[in-house]
Amino acid sequence: MKKLELRYVAAVYPITSKLNEQFETDAGTLRELIRELDDVYGGFTEMFLDSRTGKLTLNTMIYYGAKGSVPKGVLDADQPIADQATITFW
Amino acid sequence: MNVRDNAQQRMLRVDLSTGAIGVEDLPREWTGKYLGARGVTGRLLYDEVHRGTDPYGPENVLYIGTGPMDGLPVGMGRLSIATKSPRGCIGEGSVGGFLGPELRRAGYEYIAVRGCSDKPVYLFIEDDRVEIRDAGHLWGKTTYQTDDLLREQLPDPDTQFLYIGPAGENLVHSAMVFSGRDSTGGRAGGGEVMGAKKLKAITVRGHGGIKPHDYDAFIDAYKGFRRLLNLRTSRDMWTPVWSTYGAPVLSRLFPDLGNLMTNNAQMMSWDSEKAAAISSEHFMNDYVSRAQSCFNCPWPACKKNFRIDKGENAGFTGGNYWAGQPVALGSAIDNGDLDLMLILSGLCNQYGLDIFHVGFTLSWAMECFEKGILTTADTDGLELRFGMTDHQALIDLLDKIVRKEGFGELLALGCWEASKRIGKDSYKYCLTVKGQELEAIAERNLLMVGLGIAVSEVGPDHTRWYPPYPPNPSIISKEELHELGIDLDLKLAFDTRNPKQKGELLRWFTISRAVVEALPSCVFLVRDTLGLDLRPWWKLFEAATGIELDYQEFVKTGERLMNMDRLFNVREGFSRKDDHVPYRMANEDVPHFGYKKIDQVTLDGMLDEYYTANGWDPQSSVPTRPKLEELGLTDTIADLEANGIEVKG
Repeated sequence: MKKLELRYVAAVYPITSKLNEQFETDAGTLRELIRELDDVYGGFTEMFLDSRTGKLTLNTMIYYGAKGSVPKGVLDADQPIADQATITFW
Repeated sequence: MNVRDNAQQRMLRVDLSTGAIGVEDLPREWTGKYLGARGVTGRLLYDEVHRGTDPYGPENVLYIGTGPMDGLPVGMGRLSIATKSPRGCIGEGSVGGFLGPELRRAGYEYIAVRGCSDKPVYLFIEDDRVEIRDAGHLWGKTTYQTDDLLREQLPDPDTQFLYIGPAGENLVHSAMVFSGRDSTGGRAGGGEVMGAKKLKAITVRGHGGIKPHDYDAFIDAYKGFRRLLNLRTSRDMWTPVWSTYGAPVLSRLFPDLGNLMTNNAQMMSWDSEKAAAISSEHFMNDYVSRAQSCFNCPWPACKKNFRIDKGENAGFTGGNYWAGQPVALGSAIDNGDLDLMLILSGLCNQYGLDIFHVGFTLSWAMECFEKGILTTADTDGLELRFGMTDHQALIDLLDKIVRKEGFGELLALGCWEASKRIGKDSYKYCLTVKGQELEAIAERNLLMVGLGIAVSEVGPDHTRWYPPYPPNPSIISKEELHELGIDLDLKLAFDTRNPKQKGELLRWFTISRAVVEALPSCVFLVRDTLGLDLRPWWKLFEAATGIELDYQEFVKTGERLMNMDRLFNVREGFSRKDDHVPYRMANEDVPHFGYKKIDQVTLDGMLDEYYTANGWDPQSSVPTRPKLEELGLTDTIADLEANGIEVKG
């Protein structure tokens, strides 16, 4: 089980009604995490994954920060996620 | 009804010294050569405001300029406000709102104001009726009071206003011009020059019409343009964010990325709780009273009016909360109190002050105080520290700045001039270029921004090359770019910390944004591929004016504008040495993030690439003879040489 710090910015915030949270998950990739979050907050998959291509949508952004490192924009939905990462959904 | 010919631009000339008023048609070919707005005002400034002109004197001219697209659904009411800046360089900036279309409906694209009145006046324009009227009752009033008083006198709601506050009247550094209550511009000198001319306001009402030259072609082009700005389908991460929550969302993201100037940029991160406290989300939940757009903007509303409902400040209202406030009035002075930030921002608007001047001059003074360069003997007894909790003292200090009283008199100079007065190496803590304070964007992690603020002709102004974050390279192919005449290695250009290709990238961004601003339209709409592929703008221009330009000739208008701005500055004595970054950015690495300082070697490499790509002499930064000939600006060569400027090549 991984413990993540998730942050929700701007247009994502109305979906979650919270700015950030500690989230526990077994998801191995960002794609799996997005689907898990969609179960909690409907709309995540539609917002972040292109239904035609399965890739990340181009009008959103996800920043992934491994513990102790500067976050970077994510371009690949199948990027692995690690324990104690900070992930910002924009 | 009189309908404007979008290919023919007309200027109202007013001399406040003599009271003379006249109208003239500008050369018809200028619309194809300079487009409009800052393109035309830049050319006029070069021709009519000669080297050495006193910015506050009667020979300086204030130009208010719209352009051939204003009043159509892509104009956004944009206005260029151009003059010679009190900092000596070109002082040009743009403001939105509704006055631009109204000016065109009145029958003019430009107003040129020369001379100085000996008493406060305002300029009244209603179609052919133009009068210089007494403004004694408006002088000394805040912008909001001025708006109310003018509306009482001119109750027609379609009458649009442009005015200054007490900061402009008192020639406070960087004072702003307002078009309506909270649409602001002119920080590069417009407000100060209006004050020097004793021109408090301009009111405009027109009854003419504006329509495209070819309506069907315009609608077709507009649909294509509009598709790229669709909130759901735009291929741009900023589109939904900007159009709903606005730019202050960056306050929560920037601290993690090392992009938030904190405590006068001594640090580039900030306490996450403070960042959340001033976030857009908090603001939208608890403060927004009404969202607002400029004329015919396709986006829902990037401007937000606010009202404080709780606590001792309940009832305070204001507008225009944007990316600058969370930095200049937030992290830069370590203020994590949103009420205080909104009050400072709102008061800046009412006084006509520039938030960047106020924020970064305060943060400079706080650093000087903490280093012992300033003491309570200088600050009227004020313990001026980062994160200070005496909010009323900060609010009172704004009032002193506007009135130039006590310690406020020093801060009213802006931090660069203030540092010259107090010495003790305090210039090292100024976040300024060409005497003008920075804006909200970091430099050491975004080298194009570093180069952009260094070479900007008007001082730091990100709208000259917006956005600082390039679009996702995957939305356009290398082949398409080549077809558009852009030979950039996008992957390298978009690597924010690699100095290579930053000159080339900045050159393209500067040229293309000059085109957008000259139409005029709003650079914040440069989203999706609209900043790389100018064909949608080109088609709109052609349908609006009937002027047929080759695509590359259309793009070249932007290059011409950019060169005119540089020519104005080099004639005033500016050169490569003036293209620099603030001392801190040039000499200090960013703590904790590993971002290196932009040392002289790094900057020189980027400058060389930029000047060479532009066809400018790398030693002097003066455009070369072949470049000026290519751009059809040969007439400027003799003038430059007569002013002692060597034009090489």
